[in-house]
Amino acid sequence: MQMTMQDQQSNQQTARPQSSTRASQNGSSRIAHVDDDPDIRDTVKRILTANGYVVDSYQTMSDFLASLWENATPPDLAILDVMVETMDAGLDAYVEIRKRFPHLHMVFMTSLGEEIRPYFTNLSDEWILIIEKPVNPESFLSIVHSRLERPESS
Amino acid sequence: MAIAEFSWNLARNRFAFPRAGVKGSKLSDEVLIGNARWFIIFRWVVIAILLVFQIFAVIASDALTEIGITHQQGWPLAITMVLCISNIFYIYALDFRPQTEFNSPSINIWTQIIVDLLCLSVVVHYIGSIGTPAPFFYVLHIALSCIFFSTMESLVVAGLVCVMYGIVLLIENPLLFLAPQSVLIDSDSGAPMATHLKINILLWMLTLDVLFMVVWYVVSRLAIVVRTHERQLVDAYEHISRAQVEKDRYAVLMTHQLKAPLDAIRSKIGLIKGDYCGETSPEIKEVLEKIDNRASGMAGLILDVLKLERLKAAARDPNNLERVNIDAVIRKCIDKLKPIAHSRQITINGSAEHFAVAGIPYQLEILFENIISNAIIYSYDGASVEIASAIDWQDSSAVVSIADHGIGISDKDLPHIFDEYFYAPRAALHNRKSSGIGLSIVKTVAENNKLHIKVDSEPNRGTTFHIIFSGLTSEPNSGKSYDRPERRVIQRDGACEPT
Repeated sequence: MQMTMQDQQSNQQTARPQSSTRASQNGSSRIAHVDDDPDIRDTVKRILTANGYVVDSYQTMSDFLASLWENATPPDLAILDVMVETMDAGLDAYVEIRKRFPHLHMVFMTSLGEEIRPYFTNLSDEWILIIEKPVNPESFLSIVHSRLERPESS
Repeated sequence: MAIAEFSWNLARNRFAFPRAGVKGSKLSDEVLIGNARWFIIFRWVVIAILLVFQIFAVIASDALTEIGITHQQGWPLAITMVLCISNIFYIYALDFRPQTEFNSPSINIWTQIIVDLLCLSVVVHYIGSIGTPAPFFYVLHIALSCIFFSTMESLVVAGLVCVMYGIVLLIENPLLFLAPQSVLIDSDSGAPMATHLKINILLWMLTLDVLFMVVWYVVSRLAIVVRTHERQLVDAYEHISRAQVEKDRYAVLMTHQLKAPLDAIRSKIGLIKGDYCGETSPEIKEVLEKIDNRASGMAGLILDVLKLERLKAAARDPNNLERVNIDAVIRKCIDKLKPIAHSRQITINGSAEHFAVAGIPYQLEILFENIISNAIIYSYDGASVEIASAIDWQDSSAVVSIADHGIGISDKDLPHIFDEYFYAPRAALHNRKSSGIGLSIVKTVAENNKLHIKVDSEPNRGTTFHIIFSGLTSEPNSGKSYDRPERRVIQRDGACEPT
């Protein structure tokens, strides 16, 4: 898995399986994960729950949006697939969520990695973090940690 | 009960050039404004010629009288003044007044043509409406109106010209159309002469009116042909652009569909390797590592194909060139590739000097990343990769050399290294992850960025890639303007020379 972000150096910390890191400090952080691939959903859930996070997995973007609109408190971090259901579902959902929850941390996880970047042009002024699949536990956890440690989404 | 209806009648959507409506079509406001400006500049030239002529007439009036050109009554000055004032008025209306219903580019050109025709009629009157070339200048306005306006509007201009010329002739010879009666009444005085003159005038009017109409017909037909082709070109270009977007979407979709299963497999391998499924024996981990490596190579190939397709498509866009700081690009690539080099105890020595070129930033990153990563991959463990640069400010060119001490390339393979999907058997043995298109990507970037690449290599001694940049955009020590993007368009004439 490749991480594509300007502050990679801040993510050097590693996490071992079964060791509750952030959760033990601040209570369980809730992470929403949307992906239509059951194997990726399962992998992400195993890695995150083993490290003390509470994970809500969604197969479709509409399921996630419905739960987001219903719940009063949004998750601490949302990991979104880009091409789920349709090619642009992830991007459309991002714009929608950004309007309602401007401070919600969101990262994209896609097989295309940086190659999806042209589709993000004109979507948002902010730098969008794109994680390239496959999910490598070590670097994936370091990205999740660094995202959750940020005071506001950026 | 849900009912869905499907139709694949492609004929309806088939691309066709619109032919209908071209005859009456007008040019867009943007084109009309361009034409109006051109027309104004053209008029300034005419005004300048008239002024020069008048100055010459004042200075050398005696000489002119000698050769038979008599003193004019001041009309040339009046015409020059009218043209000059009206030209200023057109510029004011075009550039300093908002466009309204009564101040459109079309009305501006119409006014220009009518005022010009009136001025020309005065000139024709004074110079001579028959027997001189003056009336032929009407043709210019008919031709221009055919280019500027629709066919019907240009016909109106042609009609206007005929009427104006007729009026000029009529003013000069008020009894022109009463001529036959005078011939009957008075047959033996000066009448034959007068009749001859009147027939001559009518002949001129008829001939020139026919000429005006013929010019209108020919030029308006040509204008229709040109506009039809212009429209076809615009439509074809739009069609190509749409197809390009569709092609990219398709490529993205295919890449995703091909890579997603591999990513799922590799994610599961990651789970086992990370002991998320319980303890695993080192033997199993070793096998998993090999599976993961092969899958990683395949995933890399899939992404590289998409990258290559996009790079080829990018060649079409000439407006994406920026000023790129090459030493910064190389530093970034080295930072990115250092972990891979360290894992095989390979050191990367040196860096490039400070210089910038006009190029496509992300593509130059791709180029250096590919070449440096190749140097690392095809090095022997524990070896070193040397990066050096040489700048020739006089020639405003620079060479960046990336040398490895690895397996090298045989003489037989060297001419083919930039071919798509080319595998040198020795290279494939050394690196099983190779996609075979890394250097094709380099070649495409070199083409897009007008670069030359020279490669020298010796088997088992190493390979050196020389990337030659021409047209450097910054002076030595000129400092901080490097990363500021500056749009520049340069001619694309890229070439790769494996030697």
